[in-house]
Amino acid sequence: MRLLVVEDEPDLLNGLARALRRAGYAVDLAADGADGLYKAEGTDYDAIVLDVMLPKLDGWEVLARLRNTKKTPVLILTARDQTADRVRGLDTGADDYLVKPFDNDELLARLRALIRRAAGQTHSKIEIGEVLIDTRARAVARAGEPVTLTAREYAILEYLALHRGEVVSRTELYEHLLDESDDTLSNLVDVHIFGIRKKLGAELIATRRHQGYCIEK
Amino acid sequence: MNLAQFTKSIRWRLLLWLAFLLVCILTGFGVTAYQFQRITRLKEIDDEFVQRVAALSADARNSLSSDNPPDATMLDEDFSDRAPPGSEPLETNPRRRTIRLSVQTQMLLNPWDTNGFYYAFWSQDGDLFKQSANAPRGLKLPERPMPDTVYRIRARGEFREAYHFTEMGECALVGRNIAADLAAMHRFALLLVAVGGAVLAIGLGGSGWLVNRALRPVEKISDAARRISGGKLSERINVAETDSELGQLANTLNSTFARLDAAFTRQKQFTAVAAHELRTPVAVMLTHAQNGMAAGGTSDEQREAFDACLRAAQRMRRLIELLLALSRFDAGQETMKRVPFDLSRATRECVELIRPLAEEQQVQIYTALSPLEIFGDVERLTQVITNLLANAIQYNRPNGEVRVKLERHNDLAELTISDTGAGIPVEDLPRIFERFYRVDKSRVSSGLGLGLAISKAIIEAHGGTIAVSSRLNIGTIFFIQLPA
Repeated sequence: MRLLVVEDEPDLLNGLARALRRAGYAVDLAADGADGLYKAEGTDYDAIVLDVMLPKLDGWEVLARLRNTKKTPVLILTARDQTADRVRGLDTGADDYLVKPFDNDELLARLRALIRRAAGQTHSKIEIGEVLIDTRARAVARAGEPVTLTAREYAILEYLALHRGEVVSRTELYEHLLDESDDTLSNLVDVHIFGIRKKLGAELIATRRHQGYCIEK
Repeated sequence: MNLAQFTKSIRWRLLLWLAFLLVCILTGFGVTAYQFQRITRLKEIDDEFVQRVAALSADARNSLSSDNPPDATMLDEDFSDRAPPGSEPLETNPRRRTIRLSVQTQMLLNPWDTNGFYYAFWSQDGDLFKQSANAPRGLKLPERPMPDTVYRIRARGEFREAYHFTEMGECALVGRNIAADLAAMHRFALLLVAVGGAVLAIGLGGSGWLVNRALRPVEKISDAARRISGGKLSERINVAETDSELGQLANTLNSTFARLDAAFTRQKQFTAVAAHELRTPVAVMLTHAQNGMAAGGTSDEQREAFDACLRAAQRMRRLIELLLALSRFDAGQETMKRVPFDLSRATRECVELIRPLAEEQQVQIYTALSPLEIFGDVERLTQVITNLLANAIQYNRPNGEVRVKLERHNDLAELTISDTGAGIPVEDLPRIFERFYRVDKSRVSSGLGLGLAISKAIIEAHGGTIAVSSRLNIGTIFFIQLPA
C-alpha cells in the first residue's frame, strides 16, 4: 500500500512517515499543498493523509482540485475540530477526519478502514480459500496455521487480496508498494510472488501472461 | 419613570428652567409695557386737563377784567337749557361773579359727551359758584397745600381732575370720567397677559422640541451603551453628526467599545488559538514517542523516557481538549443536546462505574436516587457527575463516605454529592470553580485543575446551577440544580 502524507510540520511529517513505514506502507512525503497536489495527481495512492493548514495551497484547496481527477481516499488531519470544519472537510470530498493530536494506532486503524472501503471490503479479515489475511494484525494464516511473510510479501498479498478478481500489473504493484525513495533492486515483484506461493500454495495467485497477477474470486 | 427620576431628568430640569426664565422675561416685559402705556396715557389725559384748566382760568380772568360785556354769551343759561336729560339741573349762583367762556374753551369743554369734560369754579371763599351740568355730584373744593398756582392732578375713583388756584385764590377745576380709559388699560393688560401666555406656550413647546432633539442622541447613546453592557459587544452608537459635541462623545464611546470588544474577543480567541497552536507540537511528541516505544529493542531507560514523554503528551492533549471546550463554552459555541433521560439512572451508572475506585480507596458510596426525567446532554452530565464522584472519593479519608442524593424540588432536579473528606478552606471556596485553581497548591495531583470549571460550564449551559459548601474536617457538599 502506498500513501502520501502532506504535512508542513517537518517533525510530524517524519514521525508519521516512520510510523506508517513501520506499519508496512510505502510512504511519499510532501511538505506543502502544491507539492502534495502534484504528487497526488500523478500517482495512484491507496490513501492520502492531508493536513489542512498548509503553505502555498491549503488542504481544502488541494482536496477540491484533486477531486476533479481522482477518487483517492483522503484522511484530513487538522488542528481544527469545530463541527463546521469537519462538515466542510467531509463535504469537500474527504473520506475521514482526524484531529491532532492523535494516537498512531488510531491513525493506522482509520487508514486501514479507508483503504479497505475503497477496495470494496468491509471487514478487516479477508478469507481466500484456506488462507486468512488479518489486515489489522498484518498476519496471515493457512488452514489455521500462522504463516510468516516478509513485509514486501505481505504488502503484495494484501494488495492483491483487496483487489480480488482484478488483474494487477507489475507496474501497478510497483507503484503501490514502493515509495519515491525506494530504488532497491531487491524488490522484484516476481521474487516476492514466488515467496508467497511457496508459503501459501501455488494456486493462490494466478499469473496472467503479459498482464499481471490475480487472486481469483 | 417615578417622580424622583422625573425631577432628576435633564429634560425636565431644562424645561423647568426655561419656563422659569421665560415667565420672568415675559412678566418683566409685560409689566414694563403696561406701566409705560399707563403712564403715557395718563400723561396725555393730564395734559388735556391742564390745557382746559388753563383755558378756563384764562376765561375767568378775562371775564373779571372785561366786566360783563353785552356781547358775551352767558353760557350758564345755555348750559342749563341744553343740559342732557337726566343730568343734574345746573346750580345757578346768584352772585354777580360770572364767567364767560370763550368759544375756544367751549369747544374744549364740550358737555355733550357723557364721559366728556366737566368743570367747576370756586371763589376765594371756597364757594362753588359755577360748574358744568355734567359735573359729578359732591364735587368738592380741592385742598390747596401751598399758596401757589401750580396745576395739580387728583384722582377720585373713576374721576380724574386737574385744578389750580389763581393768584386771586379762585379755583378752577376740569375733570373727566376716565373709566373708559381705565377699561382700555385693563384690556391692554389682559392682552399683554394673553400674548405673554401664548409666547410662553410657544416658547415652552419650542424648547421642549429643541430639548428633545438635543437629547435624542444622548438617548441613543445610552440605549446603545445599555445594549453593549448587556453583552452585545459588537453594538455601536449610530453617529449621524460627527462634529457636534455629542457626536464626538459618541465617537469616543464607540472607540472605547471597540477596544473593549477587541479585548474580549482577543481574550476569548486566545485560548482557542493557543490550544490550536499547541496541537501540532503535541502531535509531534505523541507520534515520535509512540514510534520510539514501537521501535522495540531499546533499553529500559529509553523506554521509560519514551513512556514519560507519551504520558506528558497525553496529558497535554487532554488539557488542550478541555481548554478548547471551555473556550467554546465561553464563546457560546458549545451546544448541549436536549434529549429526555432518567437522571437517576445516569447517576447510578456513574456510581457503578466509579465503585472500583471507591473500593480501592476504602470509601463507601450511599445513594438515594428517585427517578427523575430531565432534558439534557446525558454524556456531558455524566461527565460532571463522574468528575464530582471522583473528587469526593479521591479527597476523602480512608473508610470515608460519599452520599449521592437526587430528588425533585418543584421544577428543579437537585443532585447533592457529599463526602467526609478534609473539606475546603473558606477562603478557597469561592474560587474552586476557576480554571487551574487548586485548593492544595503543594499536592501533586493527577487532575488537570479544569474539572470543576468544565462541570460548571456544562451545568450552566443546561440552565442549571452548581454550588459548594464545605466544613473543614467534616466534608464537602456539591449541589447541582437542573431544570426538570
